[in-house]
Amino acid sequence: MKYILLMSGTKAGTEHYHAWSQKDIQAHMNILHKINKDLSESGEFVATQGLSQPAEAKVVRGEKNGVPITDGIFPESKEFLLGYWIVDVASPDRAYAIAARIASAAGPGGVPTNMPIEVRRFASNEPPK
Amino acid sequence: MKYILMMNTMRAGHGVPGWKQKDLQAHIAFMMNLNKDLQRAGEFVSAEGLSFPDQAKQVRAGKDGTPITDGIFPESKEFLAGFWIIDVDSPERAYAIAAKISSAPGPQGAPLNMPIEVRPVMSAPPPDML
Repeated sequence: MKYILLMSGTKAGTEHYHAWSQKDIQAHMNILHKINKDLSESGEFVATQGLSQPAEAKVVRGEKNGVPITDGIFPESKEFLLGYWIVDVASPDRAYAIAARIASAAGPGGVPTNMPIEVRRFASNEPPK
Repeated sequence: MKYILMMNTMRAGHGVPGWKQKDLQAHIAFMMNLNKDLQRAGEFVSAEGLSFPDQAKQVRAGKDGTPITDGIFPESKEFLAGFWIIDVDSPERAYAIAAKISSAPGPQGAPLNMPIEVRPVMSAPPPDML
């Protein structure tokens, strides 16, 4: 069954991330690459993407005549999606274990970020028994 | 360039909406038709609907790496209901597609006018982050 693992943070949080040292960012990226490699090897990897900065985000609504109304103003508390993984796993517990591994990726000084990861099942799957 | 269009329209505890069968069918037909148009235009990459927030979990790692799951979220939290990934020539085209999704029909066929979040996706981390 397919799950999406969502990594989110506020705008302030992403700015904090960009203040990490080059070495800490590299160590963090290496762990994420290793997770992707392991998921590919176990046949559980479907896709992963990183999203651009919240500063580039727009919210769009359709006007009555179909013209898009774009707005780039969000509340400070808004959680922006930073990136996601789509995995195809045998059980919800396996999805939670992968999410925990992502949450424990090292941050500044090698300390785990312990970032919460939201785990959501795709509606196109059968619900878990 | 690739964009993700996100429907962040659900709230905590949200289950299947109490719409009439006819309204739900019209809504789904609109979305399927849109996907077909995007496929024909060569702009469709993927689209998925997510299960309802009552099944969502938040996961952190315990000290030994075991997952700590939690299903309690603040009432104000926005939940992703579904998303599209599209490959388009310009941001304006991404906004036009988002506006179309925004106008999907709801109860009695009235446009939902829901907000759609549009974000560029990066296929790899930018060079300064590697």
